[in-house]
Amino acid sequence: MLREEELQRYARQIMIPGIGVEGQEKLKRAKVVVAGGGGLGSPIAIYLAVAGVGTIRIIDRDVVELTNLNRQVLHWQKDIGRRKVDSAAEKLGHLNHDIVIDPVAESMEESNIDRLVTGFDVIVDATDNLPTRFLLNEAAIRRRIPFIHGAVRGFEGRVTTIVPGQTACLRCIYRGPLPQEKTPVIGVTPAVVGCLQATEAIKYIAGIGQLLANQLLVYDGLKMRFTTLTIRQDPDCPACGAGEVKT
Amino acid sequence: MSVTINIPIFLQAFAGDKDSHQVEGKTVGEALNNLVHSYPDMKKLIFDKQGNLLTYIGIYLNAKDAYPDELSKPVNDGDVIHVLMLIAGG
Repeated sequence: MLREEELQRYARQIMIPGIGVEGQEKLKRAKVVVAGGGGLGSPIAIYLAVAGVGTIRIIDRDVVELTNLNRQVLHWQKDIGRRKVDSAAEKLGHLNHDIVIDPVAESMEESNIDRLVTGFDVIVDATDNLPTRFLLNEAAIRRRIPFIHGAVRGFEGRVTTIVPGQTACLRCIYRGPLPQEKTPVIGVTPAVVGCLQATEAIKYIAGIGQLLANQLLVYDGLKMRFTTLTIRQDPDCPACGAGEVKT
Repeated sequence: MSVTINIPIFLQAFAGDKDSHQVEGKTVGEALNNLVHSYPDMKKLIFDKQGNLLTYIGIYLNAKDAYPDELSKPVNDGDVIHVLMLIAGG
């Protein structure tokens, strides 16, 4: 049940056909994990918070560094040296005091990943490395939690929505190790990609629109193009198919 | 067969900033080999020393994932091949 203040706060999105009061109540009841509190995690958490997602768990073990500030907009100059989850929780709390922000300053590992995501409705992938993305992918499949993947490099990005049991998973797309590198990135790219991921999360929770299921959205910021490619579940996938996970 | 290869951002510098290139070929593999024949510096970023696709390269034929056996997939006139480098930054 939405309070009068909430009806006012969310009035403009309640007007959207398909959201309405019912959709807003779904958002209020929703519990979302934002895995990573950096470049992607910042816009994802900001837009989920202002949309009224009731509980946002933000997981990141890192502290804020000067080199983060070109893109990680939840963290400011004054936050350098502070835990990212504390910096994020402070800003998100100021944006919306009606929601629960659950900061978790833990490293995501095989030993704790299931505990970190169990009980949540959606996982949004805002990490910065493939091994952690795979951990989340596998936990999402085990727990049957939708997993919204996003990744960036330079001016380009990718988004897909993984629905366990129904769609291709991350290992159906990423079949081997990536080159080791310090990823080049400019802040506008995770801003675009993170907003797309937040859009997918909101649509899934409210039950509206069409998800990027079995589709990989490819964003080219230099040519300003969006291309949608069809992906498919690999029957031999080591995570969602018959194959074995190679560790 | 004349096909269009969409060149990803990370390879465009090797193609004079072009984002697509027309090539001939009967298979995806022939088309890609003709691409790297035109732009030899791309070769080591698409293929390993044995001529297999690198693990972080995804091939999409007419916007559909061409995995597995991507290189042997036949192509037709007017087909479009997307070469995609998988990325993981956040």
